[in-house]
Amino acid sequence: MASLLKVDSLTGVTTAGSISVTGEGGSTTTNLQQGLAKCWCDIAANPVAFRDSFGMSSSSDIAVGNYNVSFTNSFSNAYYAPAGNTSTAAFSTNAFTNRNDSAEKTTSLYEWSTSNGNNAYDLTFNTLTISGDLA
Amino acid sequence: MASELRVNTLKDAAGNNSIATSFVANGSAKVWVNLNQDGTHSIRGSNNVSSISDEGAGATQTNFTSSTADANYALAGTSGDDGGNSGCWHTTGYNQNSYNTSNTTSSFHQQIYYATASVADSGFVYCTLHGDLA
Repeated sequence: MASLLKVDSLTGVTTAGSISVTGEGGSTTTNLQQGLAKCWCDIAANPVAFRDSFGMSSSSDIAVGNYNVSFTNSFSNAYYAPAGNTSTAAFSTNAFTNRNDSAEKTTSLYEWSTSNGNNAYDLTFNTLTISGDLA
Repeated sequence: MASELRVNTLKDAAGNNSIATSFVANGSAKVWVNLNQDGTHSIRGSNNVSSISDEGAGATQTNFTSSTADANYALAGTSGDDGGNSGCWHTTGYNQNSYNTSNTTSSFHQQIYYATASVADSGFVYCTLHGDLA
């Protein structure tokens, strides 16, 4: 039987921040809150600007090939997991990496670098998704 | 009191922003991990990770608490380091020291390269898995 639930907010009963969702195979469950991407963006460089985003409040151009984004909602700690990608029509061997100072990854901000052939470059197409625990 | 809700579609209270619960289940990351390869490999934060193991320079095996339905999942990762190396860090989806060790329903492998060719341990390794749970 098809069903439809209209609701603005979901909260766990036993633990407010934990709702189990049955996996696709039906034999295991996954944690809804922990599995949701907490923020993502498609962002242009030079000038840096969001093309589209979720959970991101602002972005900054730190230097050539170096950027940061601030989060709308802070994480509970800085141990979240970013995953990014970068490309441009001009080069074929590009890299999306964390910036090299651990202090540049906080509960409210993440910084990354893009490069070509080990040289920092402003690359055209950048995407970033972050999984982790919100505060 | 614990409860279970069976529903096909979610909407907001105004009846907008409809999304099928299949998108919630399929779209959620089933595994994510933030780990440190320097010294003894260690987990800083994770979801659905039971353990990790050091597979050599820059290489880590991540083991799942709940298995996936198959090994045809999608991995996305990023890496970097806070040491003197400031060049490119690449995250790959396998361990070059064991090409035959493919990803399975209970674990995946990733290896970090520095400066295009050299495998190296990285202080900051992140990876996210999207796919189907068993």
